[in-house]
Amino acid sequence: MMKKIARFAFQLGAKIALNVNFVVEKAGRYFLLSEALKKVAGKDFYYAGTYFGKVKNGKFFPSFNLLSMLAKVEANKIVVEKKAAWLFICGRDVFRNGILEVRGSRKKGSHTLVINEFGECLGFGKIVGKLDEAVKKNGVAIRNISDIGDFLRREI
Amino acid sequence: MSGKEIFVDRYRQLGWEFENVQPRQAIRINVTNTKGKNLEERLQIAGVQLEKIPFLETGYWVRNSKVSIGATAEYLLGLYSIQEAAAQIPATLFTRLKGNTVLDACAAPGGKTVQLADLMGNTGVLVALDVKKRRLVALSNHLERCHVNNAIVYNLDVRQVSRLKLGFHRILLDVPCSGNFVCGKGWFRRRTIADVRRNAKQQKEILAEAAKCLLDDGEIVYSTCSLEPEENEVNMDWAAKHLNLKIQEIDCYGQKGLTEVFGSRLDVSIERCRRIWPGETQGFFVCKLKKVMGK
Repeated sequence: MMKKIARFAFQLGAKIALNVNFVVEKAGRYFLLSEALKKVAGKDFYYAGTYFGKVKNGKFFPSFNLLSMLAKVEANKIVVEKKAAWLFICGRDVFRNGILEVRGSRKKGSHTLVINEFGECLGFGKIVGKLDEAVKKNGVAIRNISDIGDFLRREI
Repeated sequence: MSGKEIFVDRYRQLGWEFENVQPRQAIRINVTNTKGKNLEERLQIAGVQLEKIPFLETGYWVRNSKVSIGATAEYLLGLYSIQEAAAQIPATLFTRLKGNTVLDACAAPGGKTVQLADLMGNTGVLVALDVKKRRLVALSNHLERCHVNNAIVYNLDVRQVSRLKLGFHRILLDVPCSGNFVCGKGWFRRRTIADVRRNAKQQKEILAEAAKCLLDDGEIVYSTCSLEPEENEVNMDWAAKHLNLKIQEIDCYGQKGLTEVFGSRLDVSIERCRRIWPGETQGFFVCKLKKVMGK
């Protein structure tokens, strides 16, 4: 499992150091426990500590807690302006003219975190268009993979 | 008499004249997640007009909003939670939460759990229980959205909490109750005095089990959104007499607890409880109890 998390972080150009002893699996979902929680955690908990994500059909789906953690370290990031941020939360892709800043990889196919003007992580996506500032054409630059609007969509 | 008349008459006997009250939407700022951020300004720019709730440190009424308050980026980022004003009171009544082992006994959907985690500064251990498994999904989503990382959630009836073999410094008992007419459409049609009695019995069972797991000098905050004294003052009178718990003075919004209920006289310490009749907020009741040391 740690490999899956590390591989996901690597896709985002980030490195994450985790103490294996504090990562616990529960029905395909992964949690990072604090020392205090580890001491008291029974076997049959439903949720604990920091939720990292789940594995379904062999594929890893990161939580927004993990994305926020990765946003605090060196990683591929694009900073988007207000309207683009709102559209991204609504499940839309990011267009070139919504991007304020690119950090890390600009390569097509790379994964990148999407950050708002306040430095908060809104989700992540895949670079599908050229990010070069010289490109005038305004097309889709980042394909939305996961965004925090998911909290609302889950409740439906 | 119809169901409504029975309840309205009971309220009159307790000293409150019934009036229709519309619930007001309120939010609570998650302090841990908003350090160095001007949330009020951000919400104002987004078209949300807030009004500070005078009796709460981090609570605001939503005066007007051009956007859905439960769908802003700030909400999805866990910078604030939607929580009725009176419901924000119980968690604030504990002393020294940081670093302690705290139990939120009937936790879902998690508004008060997130508030406790915030007051604990994400330190210590926060054990959250709910008996209904499907409600744990909403609770978990709430914890993830608000970046809570000191909580552990179990699908467990609080009346079996001893199974966890843990001692708690603080216990929040926001117990299942009959509710009140402000927060439930058709409340008077659906509720009977038999419901009230059944709930009161279950609440006593919860109190008794919680008292067993409370450490010496530990605190319990008991709350309901019921207006019925059987679920409130009468239960607190019972707890003080049978569970080695002492009712504590609290300084919060609300009126003194009733010491005379339908002809029965309760212990004078019940005055220390707070009863909130519907008005500025929904109806609510809150009481703080402390374990008597060494018994």
